[in-house]
Amino acid sequence: MAIHERSLVEPERILRKERLVIDGIDVSGDWNLIILPRVINDYDLDFAKEIVNSPDGKTINQCYQCSYCTASCPVHNYWDERYNPRHFIHLARLGLIDELQKRADVMWRCVSCHKCTHRCPKGVLVEEVLKVILRTMAKRGLIEEYPSKKFDKFFTEQVLEYGRIEDGELLFGWIEKQGYKVVKDPILRKPIPFIGETPEWLKQLTMKPIKSMNIGFLILNAKHMLFHPRTKNWNKFKHVLRKVMEEEGALAH
Amino acid sequence: MGVIGKRVAYYPGCSLEGAARAYDVSTRIVARELGLELDYLEDYNCCGAMESKNVTFMGTMLLNARNMSLARKQGHDVIVAPCNGCSFSLQRAEYFLETDKSVFERVNALLREGGVDPLDKIPHTYHILEWFYHEAGPQKVKEKTKRPLRGLKVANYYGCLYTRPHFYARTYAHAGGQDEDARPRKRDTADDDEHPYYMNALLEAAGATSVNFEPMHTQCCGGPHSLSDEMVSEKFVMMILQTAKRNGADIIATECPLCHASLEMYRHRLMMKGVPDVDVPAAYFTQLLGLAFGYSANDVKLKDNLSDPLPVLKRLGLA
Repeated sequence: MAIHERSLVEPERILRKERLVIDGIDVSGDWNLIILPRVINDYDLDFAKEIVNSPDGKTINQCYQCSYCTASCPVHNYWDERYNPRHFIHLARLGLIDELQKRADVMWRCVSCHKCTHRCPKGVLVEEVLKVILRTMAKRGLIEEYPSKKFDKFFTEQVLEYGRIEDGELLFGWIEKQGYKVVKDPILRKPIPFIGETPEWLKQLTMKPIKSMNIGFLILNAKHMLFHPRTKNWNKFKHVLRKVMEEEGALAH
Repeated sequence: MGVIGKRVAYYPGCSLEGAARAYDVSTRIVARELGLELDYLEDYNCCGAMESKNVTFMGTMLLNARNMSLARKQGHDVIVAPCNGCSFSLQRAEYFLETDKSVFERVNALLREGGVDPLDKIPHTYHILEWFYHEAGPQKVKEKTKRPLRGLKVANYYGCLYTRPHFYARTYAHAGGQDEDARPRKRDTADDDEHPYYMNALLEAAGATSVNFEPMHTQCCGGPHSLSDEMVSEKFVMMILQTAKRNGADIIATECPLCHASLEMYRHRLMMKGVPDVDVPAAYFTQLLGLAFGYSANDVKLKDNLSDPLPVLKRLGLA
């Protein structure tokens, strides 16, 4: 017997027997499959309230669970069936924190392609809502640090510091955060691309403009790596920005 | 035609002043050739892209409101951004500032506090492709073409955020939703939401042939996760490149520096792994238009493309 939306049921709750005899009656065949009931400990209704109260999460209650978002989602279709936006919204509205936590390893995988938001017939900003769910979970300490959040914070810190980002520093900084040993020059503390443990593909890609003698490109990017491009008149604005982000708890831990 | 304005504020974004220099240079060339004027937005800041918005809501509103305020200061009602991420962020801010009064008031108060002029009016943001299509159009491109891209088979890759979501990109009028005011209005100039065609039209006017690229033309390249979630991005890029190759494309035309970088980076990594049918190079659509307008490969900085489209273009006698 097929199970509808099997990815929503944990494998250990599915019992399948080759031969099953109950009270002396052989019920093998169509009845050999049992889904064990799950235990729900608590509903946390404040969780949904917190989401509704944020400006980007207030559309969550318009959802009528049609699953158009899940049908559109490339992560669900091409990567992992357990990534199911409709189900996450359902769980968040009910306040089933335990169930959300069980899916913490896939919940961050949204690639922000906005197919869900675009196609939702009820006007739910699905992508935004999912990010608010994640943000709320992180704020309550319900989910561990996940890769995309690390990157988001790393990116945002650069924006906050300089007003602009720079590709080289972003790339090498991220490589370093992932545990590669990036060698830096002793004076300006900037990464040197060719020595150290940078991954092979990155080495080869940085070699390309050198091999093709693309001098202008090299000079521009070297200059940007050495002297990070900055927005002028940024300092006063930076303080306001930092204050706002601290209020939202964005800079914590 | 001619509804957006010939002279607009140009928000290049961080990427175009660094690794995606070629897109900036070629965009200026194409705009000049088509008789359009880009007014560089002085002293802009990063839009927060797809990353900051996951960390802070009000922060991204502020970042984008500052850019809008700068555009107003330079006397513009329209901002044009060549990057999908930048135009998305600005349009997202536009949506929330227009539909949520409390956000608008808070942002204005904070702008004043930060020493930036508050917004008297919210400027509209367009993607540069939309602007080219509506202010110049295929007819003008045809007139200006000196060296048609004859024989070049192009897979037009639009990426996610050019037409999506309709709330921000305003690609269609949505009927649902409980809040009457929150319903987005369709913009007259907007591209088709599921089957965008502006880039096809412009490049076909320049003599190129578009290959069938649906539904990968708006498939995600991994986007904000291209560095943090490598396995998923790799798979998505593989699907895009293989579809292009198997449909006979010589080159992929891109219109976003992030998609472009992601495609080139993972193309290289997939080729190192020996995955078949992924060796299609990528070039910005403005680079191809620049070539058609008679500029040399050096003028449009084709050397900057790490996927190296030069051999393909040379074989067809286009560069």
